[in-house]
Formats: sequence, C-alpha cells, structure tokens
Amino acid sequence: MTFGRILPSWFFWQCENTLPGSWFKHAQWFFAIDETFHIMALGMLIGTLLIVDLRLLGFGMRRQSVPELAKYLGPWTLLGVASMIITGVPLFMSEAVKLSRSTPFFYKMIFLTCAVTLHFTLHRKATASSARQGSGMGKLAACLSLICWLGVALAGRAIAFL
Amino acid sequence: MFHLLSFVQWLNDTRISVYLRESDWPFPIIETIHILGLGFSVGTVMWVDLRLLGLAMREAPVTDVIEQLEPWAIGGFAVMFVSGSLLILSEPLKCYNTVAFRIKVVLLILAALNVLYFHKKVMHNVDEWDQNMPWRAKLVGVLSLVLWLGVVIAGRWTAYF
Repeated sequence: MTFGRILPSWFFWQCENTLPGSWFKHAQWFFAIDETFHIMALGMLIGTLLIVDLRLLGFGMRRQSVPELAKYLGPWTLLGVASMIITGVPLFMSEAVKLSRSTPFFYKMIFLTCAVTLHFTLHRKATASSARQGSGMGKLAACLSLICWLGVALAGRAIAFL
Repeated sequence: MFHLLSFVQWLNDTRISVYLRESDWPFPIIETIHILGLGFSVGTVMWVDLRLLGLAMREAPVTDVIEQLEPWAIGGFAVMFVSGSLLILSEPLKCYNTVAFRIKVVLLILAALNVLYFHKKVMHNVDEWDQNMPWRAKLVGVLSLVLWLGVVIAGRWTAYF
C-alpha cells in the first residue's frame, strides 16, 4: 500500500514543486543537514521512550517509580516528537512524489499514528501517578509503545533501501 | 612497517568483504541493527549527561541514574561496535578514503578517553554530587554530549561522501 493510491498525484507534485518544498528539494545540502537533525531528535526521543517503557516492564531504572520517570521525561518525549515532525515534514516535501510510491513510508505513517495515539491514551494512563505499579496494563502499554516506535524507526530506515 | 592502506586494500579484497558489499540484504540489515544499538547507547548515555548537567531527572539521585542506565549504554555500545565493524568490513576502502569517517574515528577515541577520565579521575566522590555537582563532572557531561552528537553526524555523513 502507498499514499499515492489514496491521495491524488497533484498533491504530492505540489508539495515538492511549490514553495517551500521546491526550496527543500533544490537547496544544496538541505536534505543531508535536515536528515542529520532528524536523527539527532530520534536519539533523544528513543532514549526517553526506552527508559519509561523498560521501567514499565520492570527493567532499567527500577529505583525510581513509573510516574516519577514519566514526570521527568514526559516533556522531553514531547520535545523529541515535535523535533521529529518539524524536521520530518521538510524531508517529506523535498521528495513527496517518490514517497507517494513508497510502501515503507506508508507503514511508517501508520506506525507513527498508532504510536502517538497510544502515547496520549493507554500509555498516559499507565504512567499516571494513580496507576497501579507493575500492572498488566502498564506492561501492555510498554510493549505496544516499543513495537510502534520500533516500527516507525525500521520503516523509516527501509524508505532508503526499498 | 605496518602499512594501513595496504591492510585496508587486503581487507577490501577478502571474500567476506566482497560478499557483504555485493549482496543485497546484509548491508541494510546490519545498518538497521547498528541504528537500534545507537538508540540504546546514545539514548541512555545522553540522559546520564543531561543529569550530570542538572538539566533532566534532577530529582533522581545521580548514582541511581548512572548505575541503572550504564548497563544499557554498554549493551547498546557492544551492539554498535560489532555491527559497525561489519559495516566497515563491507567497504573498507570507502571508509578509509572518507573524511567524515576519519573524523568519526577520532571522535570515538575522544569519547572513549572521556569515559575513562570520568571513571578514573572524576567519579571517586560521586556520593556527594547530589549536594554539589563538581565542574569536572559537568565538563564530562558536555564533552560526552558533543562527542556523541559528532559521532552520529559524522556517521550519517559517511554515507553522503
């Protein structure tokens, strides 16, 4: 499945060939530099998610409670997601037509939608101060969160290869 | 005398190197594992650094943060080191000739020295850091953040040159 089969092709063409997309596409080094920031944001985001999700599963920073860790790292997670999106949109616009035919890109967006939705629903509940420690719901939220974000990263990497 | 370039050329012609370079799947798979390792190691190291600088997890004791995250950082680094060695093995000559890769190697050595300095010279009074963080610990935190950031950037740029 690809986005090209859902949305009209002029949408992708316009993204890539009108401002600011056309600038992203043609500016020398823009893609390489923006992609570097995208990966730096990824490092930060993955760190915060790992620490909280591992703790929900009973690993890693066990001397701190789940709500404590979620309170420390929650703002950083949001900053990480925001940076990923801010650096990611120009990456998309610079090669929208190619991505409209990319299967990995389609799955990346599906995983991303699931991951963000999960983060603000089940995951938020499982890390709230009222949540019971070590509950099955917490472990489920952690597993789903790790799977979704791993899916985003792996599908993202696959865009360049497939 | 040991001559690095002739060693790299020999490595480049070994059967395993040719196999890794010329088949479709090994490179993307190893590269993906390399980046997952990066997530674990840099993702945890950077929170130790930010804690040393007092920017994140301030309420958690420093020793808690270091002791509980270090095993994950080391595990992630081991994965990166093994997968990274295979990536080099897949194109030794290209790595040798790429400026970004040479910079990456220098930054990695500096990052290793930074960790060594931290453990040998700075960490001895870690129990007192919750009251008063010594400037050396903060320096190590800044250096670690900058060096690892540099490693990631130089690593990504190795692919562009």
